[in-house]
Amino acid sequence: METTHVTIERASAMPAATWHFLNMNDTQIEMPEGLSIAPAVQVSEPWAARGAADEFENALADAQVEWEKSHPAPTAEELAEREAYVAAEVDATYGGTAQSAYQIAADAIEESRSLAVAFEHGTGDEAAAYLRYAAGDRIVVAVKEGQSVDAQVVVSAVPGAVSAAAVDVIADANSAVNLSLVVDAPTAPGQSGASAGITGTTVRVFADEGARVEIDRTQAVDGDFTDIDDMGLFTAENAQVAVRQTVLGAAASFTGLAGDLRGDSSRIDVDTRYLGHSDQKRDFNYSLRHHGAKTKCNLQANGVLAGTSSKTLRGTIDLIRGCKGAEGSENETVLLVDEGVHNKTVPVILCNEDDVAGNHGATIGHIREEQLFYLASRGLSQQAAESMFASAIVEQAAIDATTDAARESVVRYGERLNPGFADLFEE
Amino acid sequence: MAETKTTVTASGKKRTQVDDVDRSMYDFRYDDADAEKLDAGLTPDIVREISERKDEPAWMLEHRLKSLEIFNSIDMSDWGPSIDGLDMDNIVTYVKPNTDQKSDWESVPDNIKDTFDRLGIPQAERSYLAGVGAQYDSELVYHSMQESAAKMGIVYSGIEEALHGEYADLIKEKFMTLIPPTDHKFAALHGAVWSGGSFVYVPKGVKLDYPLQSYFRLNAKGAGQFEHTLIIVEDDADLHFIEGCSAPKYNVANLHAGAVELFVGKRAHLRYSTIENWSKNMYNLNTKRCRCDEEGEIEWISGSFGSHVGYLYPMSILAGRKARASFTGITFAGRGQNLDTGCKVVLAAKDTSASIETKGISKDGGIQTFRSSVVATPAAEGSRCSVSCQSLMLDDRSRSDTIPAMDIRCKNVDIGHEATIGRIGDDKVFYLMSRGISEEEARTMIVNGFAEPISKELPLEYAVEMNNLIKLEMEGAIG
Repeated sequence: METTHVTIERASAMPAATWHFLNMNDTQIEMPEGLSIAPAVQVSEPWAARGAADEFENALADAQVEWEKSHPAPTAEELAEREAYVAAEVDATYGGTAQSAYQIAADAIEESRSLAVAFEHGTGDEAAAYLRYAAGDRIVVAVKEGQSVDAQVVVSAVPGAVSAAAVDVIADANSAVNLSLVVDAPTAPGQSGASAGITGTTVRVFADEGARVEIDRTQAVDGDFTDIDDMGLFTAENAQVAVRQTVLGAAASFTGLAGDLRGDSSRIDVDTRYLGHSDQKRDFNYSLRHHGAKTKCNLQANGVLAGTSSKTLRGTIDLIRGCKGAEGSENETVLLVDEGVHNKTVPVILCNEDDVAGNHGATIGHIREEQLFYLASRGLSQQAAESMFASAIVEQAAIDATTDAARESVVRYGERLNPGFADLFEE
Repeated sequence: MAETKTTVTASGKKRTQVDDVDRSMYDFRYDDADAEKLDAGLTPDIVREISERKDEPAWMLEHRLKSLEIFNSIDMSDWGPSIDGLDMDNIVTYVKPNTDQKSDWESVPDNIKDTFDRLGIPQAERSYLAGVGAQYDSELVYHSMQESAAKMGIVYSGIEEALHGEYADLIKEKFMTLIPPTDHKFAALHGAVWSGGSFVYVPKGVKLDYPLQSYFRLNAKGAGQFEHTLIIVEDDADLHFIEGCSAPKYNVANLHAGAVELFVGKRAHLRYSTIENWSKNMYNLNTKRCRCDEEGEIEWISGSFGSHVGYLYPMSILAGRKARASFTGITFAGRGQNLDTGCKVVLAAKDTSASIETKGISKDGGIQTFRSSVVATPAAEGSRCSVSCQSLMLDDRSRSDTIPAMDIRCKNVDIGHEATIGRIGDDKVFYLMSRGISEEEARTMIVNGFAEPISKELPLEYAVEMNNLIKLEMEGAIG
């Protein structure tokens, strides 16, 4: 079976758009025709943790029932009062509340009171559906209350093929899951890049009360591959999800993560590290929506751009009415190494709750003068210093790898990028 | 004066309530029966008639008609506040007051004179301005400049008057080059029906110690105001220009789609201060742009208070080496308002620098969005830009969004961005109370402190009307 040509027009769209001339609101993903569907996925997890195909949908439906108990629908009187308040000084003859399209869409999602409607995929529904189609059966990791499971999924890039995995994680109350996703390219040097292919994972996470889920995704494919990393997260009360994404390879990579912090005091942490070199393209989209009280999110992105690589990062923290005491934080640091790089960043905070704290920061630039001076005093030229900062991303990824497969993948990539790199990690 | 009180939320936290600002001083209006109005709507005939009434050169009519074509061919942006309540078929694009432009205040008709008297414009002129222009609906009704400024070679006149004078060629060269009609739908509309506005020319090396001020008053119901401001500050010159706007409230939509084009020469400096205080039935779709040459500097001071819907993003194009821009802005959105404001910066030459500091306050269901773009082109080596944006939510019925974009295309730049959003912290109130300050006063002090870095930059001392406005609005916000 071969794929047909598909263009996903508005992948990884940020919830609140801005000027079109910036070309940042979303991205386009080209899925070429003629690719085979390659089942190049290895799964390693205890069979006891295998869940039913509809486990995620069932968990969300159960959560819907519980949520409705604690969040009754507004009464007719309350709705009337709200309407009257808005209408009091807003004359419909000159345009009502004049909400923008995204403000109307956001209200519609809340008014639906549906957890399923509010659940999002970071790269968008279309990209997730493509990966799900290519992946075939879902890998469902279901962990029972109080238990702990380590699982690993390795996706191997095959030239001329789509290699994808669709993973559901359902973590029952107070359980713990460590999921390692490795997207690898075990081709020999010289063979890579011969023909385009697609790798990808689409992951849905349901973290029930008090559950702890850690996901570590490492991507080190090379050549002309396109990689798509799609995630959708749901956190119930006191649940915590921590995601680390390491993006090193692929001619084009698309990373999208959406999270619904629904339960009170739940938390999502995202730590993203990336390297862009030659003419690689990097695209990131994050959308973290705070529904529960005292929820927290923390998004950290650190990357190096070299060569003529380009990167776009859209990060949205949405503090929705009712998430009292919530805290959203987002910080990005980008080091620009070469003249031809192109970096785009749009860190967004949407807020219609006053009892919250939201902050974001971004630092984009070159190596600071004092850093260069220090390195020069140690005999390192500017070029050597720049190269060092770029390879440090790969080195750190190898050091922090949580599984042998992830480490081997990073070291192999580092060696191709910089011969001799593997020597650093020889036993 | 606005009243404040403190209420307790469901979660037990205290919240400062701020009453709406008393806008009665702006809401007076006069019958416009004596004014000449063109038909509502937008047609080539209306555009031709505007041009004919102004006895314009042929190129301007051509420009207007081309702009109208562009207006009809492009869509409204899909990312900002809705403008569904604005029906162009009902907007009167040209309203001529029952007078010609005067340079003697006493000759201005009583109703118009009374309007500007009540807004404090003549007092301001006498006290501390080097020149004043006053526009009423579509036309300037008064323009004057101190003799000393004229002797320095400074030109400050109506732009239409200047189109017939010695600067006609210069205006033709610059007009709508920074804001081309293709830029967006309402830039095209402006190009088609613009009327009134000021032309300022500051010759090389001339530094004016006192500001010039233009005041725009839209009196007619269901009308649009489309003034064009063109300012050229030549090399090594210096100018402070103040712009003020207001309108009475009606129960139909009014439209303001002005354009401001600023050219700052080498080592020149321009400070452009604006208070936009339109009534809450106004769609304010204003466009402002500045180009700075080598070592030139533009300072924007911007206060956005009124309007039902606002789209306002002054843009600085730093085209010359070491050109600088700063933007200091505050936006206050109350009930029934959706104000989308911010700024744009293009770092387009070596060693340029920009600094952006904004504050936003939203209350009573108001929606306030800070939107910005910082673009560093490949030519911007050695440039730097810092963006700081703080938003304060005074209740949980309101909305405050921050959408800052950065597009960096070169290596040796330093771009920093930071933003915070939240409410008045209980810990801060507690600290002040432990120093013997009452709770209400503590909350007032905190909000006052929040707005202070911006409000201290506003030209309070320059115009009585603005003084009143800031007093009302800020006291409204801070109790």
